[in-house]
Amino acid sequence: MAVKRDSRRLFALLTPGTVFLGIFFLGPLAVMVVFSFLEPGLYGGVEWNFYHWNYGRILGWADGEWEDFDPVYAEIFFRSVRLALTNVAITLLICYPAALWVSGLSARWRTFVVFIVTLPFFVSLVVRLFCWVLILRPSGFLSSTLLGLGLISEPIDIIYTETAVLIGMAYILLPFMFLPLYASIEKLDHSLVEASYDLGANPYQTFLRVILPSTLPGIAAGSVLVFIPSLGNFIVPDLLGGAKVLMIGNLVEQQFLSARNWPFGSALSVMIMLVMFLLIVIYLRRIGRSEIVR
Amino acid sequence: MRHPWLRRLLDFHGLLFLFFVYAPIIIVVVYSFNSHPVNMMVWKDFTFDWYLSIFGNPTKLNEQTLYVESTDQLLAAVKNSLLVASTTTAFSTIVGTATALAVYRHHFRLKPFYQGLLFMPMVMPDIVLGIALLVFFVNFGIKLGLFSIIIGHCTFLISYVFVVVSARLAGMDDTLEQASADLGANPWITFRRVTLPQILPGIVGGALLAFIISMDDLVITYFIAGVDSTTLPVFIYGMLRRGVKPEINAIATLMLVFSFVIASLGLYFRKRT
Repeated sequence: MAVKRDSRRLFALLTPGTVFLGIFFLGPLAVMVVFSFLEPGLYGGVEWNFYHWNYGRILGWADGEWEDFDPVYAEIFFRSVRLALTNVAITLLICYPAALWVSGLSARWRTFVVFIVTLPFFVSLVVRLFCWVLILRPSGFLSSTLLGLGLISEPIDIIYTETAVLIGMAYILLPFMFLPLYASIEKLDHSLVEASYDLGANPYQTFLRVILPSTLPGIAAGSVLVFIPSLGNFIVPDLLGGAKVLMIGNLVEQQFLSARNWPFGSALSVMIMLVMFLLIVIYLRRIGRSEIVR
Repeated sequence: MRHPWLRRLLDFHGLLFLFFVYAPIIIVVVYSFNSHPVNMMVWKDFTFDWYLSIFGNPTKLNEQTLYVESTDQLLAAVKNSLLVASTTTAFSTIVGTATALAVYRHHFRLKPFYQGLLFMPMVMPDIVLGIALLVFFVNFGIKLGLFSIIIGHCTFLISYVFVVVSARLAGMDDTLEQASADLGANPWITFRRVTLPQILPGIVGGALLAFIISMDDLVITYFIAGVDSTTLPVFIYGMLRRGVKPEINAIATLMLVFSFVIASLGLYFRKRT
């Protein structure tokens, strides 16, 4: 009797979430995968025929018939991967020493600093990027200040370059790197560090042999969490990169909102999703799921 | 620390880090009070005029740049954002909490599946989810508008509430619940008198988190908003794409203050767990 009632309660608790996520989360992803195998119609719609050239087009073969080999999309794809990897490296270099610094503070300061580092994460993305638009424009803060100080003689133009995109991406994704790193550095056993020093190791050796290996799970988690949103980002390259630094996210947006080639856009989107799944699977195999499901 | 110079180097890096995080925000806040009408990044005088002008009050500074019709659009966008955020918060808090109770208070075979399913929306890149929802809504003839935005937000907000409430549930043991059952309380009474009071900080924290993420969401909303229902972030994004105006400074500052207040409340409730 008790078991029966218990299973009825479980059923009642699970049903709303299952039905909602089944229809409105898994459903749309499935429809998107189906769309990525349909033929784009002449005037923006889709033809319900099986068509795999949407994927061929990403690599450069447009339709196998009358369009020439053109690797422009492959270039954009690899640029996105390159920028996303660079962004992982930048955030890691910024956040690792910062996390070490925070973990060495007194308990009260530690809580406070973690709080103020997390706080800007809750500010709207568009507001945080607007800050950088204001700073990096030719008539912006950086240029005006340097001009005012007499350090440069004419306005500098950083916006609409890869540098600007990397600054913007690093800025909005910092917490995703900082928090996992901090979590694993906090767990670090300080007696190991002391032991390493006692045995005559210098700071460099101690870092390389003791601190770094035991914080690898944090580095891996942070890298995955920064890489995934960097790869598919389209707001940052749109506001800070302009037309010069197109990324795969901009391409997807164009296919849906201006070029109206939905199957090709879906195929690009599926590619981003596959990269994500691949990374998560590698991560779970290597590091284990206990780190992710906190 | 054996090496004081190392400590000082780290201190220096830490200060640079905080500077990098906060300087851009502080610059925007400061310059939202700048009265220079041509170059908004050259300091002239202190003024409240940009704040007045976003609420439609004519001021000396913005007679040329005034766009009265935008004020109505801005207020409509704010209204839409608040409506969407409160609806999605209510729905995803209830569903997320129910799912967390199911997964962390029962034993069943599909448990790992549910943990994975609820983890997925949080790591799914925004653009993928936005595109998938757009294709889905258009394909099944669901009109793009506030309804589609609300549905879209709930798909990932349920996960956030789930994670926050689960953390709370995992951190408390169920002996009190068992004691309550042993003393003859029915499951509903046990839930209301024993479980609910204990997980309430988690639920409130999760709800505030959901509210702020819904208020701030840009990418997913951008794809599924349709033509006549924009939210505040989408509206500002549109403004930014047309050109940078000093009024955006003032709007950005107001949004910053709003986000900071809600986030502080949320973190306060999570700290109490």
